[in-house]
Amino acid sequence: MRRDDLRPAVFGTATRDRVLVRLALSENGLHVRELARQIESSANAVHRVVIGLERAGVVVSRPVGTTRIVLLNRRWYGAVELRTLLERLAYAYPEVRERARTYRERPRRIGKPL
Amino acid sequence: MILPLDASLVDVEFAACTVLDRAGETAVLCGGSAAAYYVPDLYQSLDIDFVVEVGAAPHIVDRALATIGYARAAEGHYRHERLPYMLAFPIGPLAIGREYVATWRTERREDLVLHVFTPTDVVRDRFLHYWAWGDRTALDVALAVARAHAPEFDLAAFTAWTQRELAADPSYDPSRIGRFLTNLERA
Repeated sequence: MRRDDLRPAVFGTATRDRVLVRLALSENGLHVRELARQIESSANAVHRVVIGLERAGVVVSRPVGTTRIVLLNRRWYGAVELRTLLERLAYAYPEVRERARTYRERPRRIGKPL
Repeated sequence: MILPLDASLVDVEFAACTVLDRAGETAVLCGGSAAAYYVPDLYQSLDIDFVVEVGAAPHIVDRALATIGYARAAEGHYRHERLPYMLAFPIGPLAIGREYVATWRTERREDLVLHVFTPTDVVRDRFLHYWAWGDRTALDVALAVARAHAPEFDLAAFTAWTQRELAADPSYDPSRIGRFLTNLERA
């Protein structure tokens, strides 16, 4: 992420915006390291953002194996409106959308050629 | 107020709610701990979830809970040195899915009070947990509360609410409503 990024941080910081936008573009959630890679930020910075959002009830995380998958909390009382807003906001972050578009979440058989 | 070392989950719930009430903060028991309140033989929890009014001053909550031996362990979480139950204060407002909860039940035990979700709201809350995440345990708890408190459980209100949630978010799987209703009829 560039330090001179002048896009408005609707949710307080550019990292928080990107985390939320990327999660809105994900069906099954992402683990923190992958989330950080997808938005070109550090895992520590993303982890801090996730903790704050989780405390507010906006995102949830669940353990999968030895890691935790983070996703938007669809039980949160403003979840539908938030997702709509984030899908709009995603247009301000074309690089995040592009990475999300090419990131495969569906299962893929081992050994199947790309 | 001193909590005995053999204090039960419900003892702690009443004590915490009462000291907060006396401090001017209305805390409503919700989540799995509210379910445990209604079906203690079937479901137990070590976490006690209260939602206090938005804007409640943390120092007032800290001071009130200190009188029963609870101290803040992390943001929104309080622990007792010798009791296993943790008090958690999820950020409000009090809501189930998209809908705010404005009424609750107030139980009394001598001079103690406990504000708690109604049985219908506990069923809605636990069912939503199953609906959103597929958690079968939450479905079982919702069914258990609906059966144990059948006279108070408002099935018509529950069904109407599922339709409102579904209209707002069509990605919810409607077959899970059917599963709940079918299992409820089997009781």
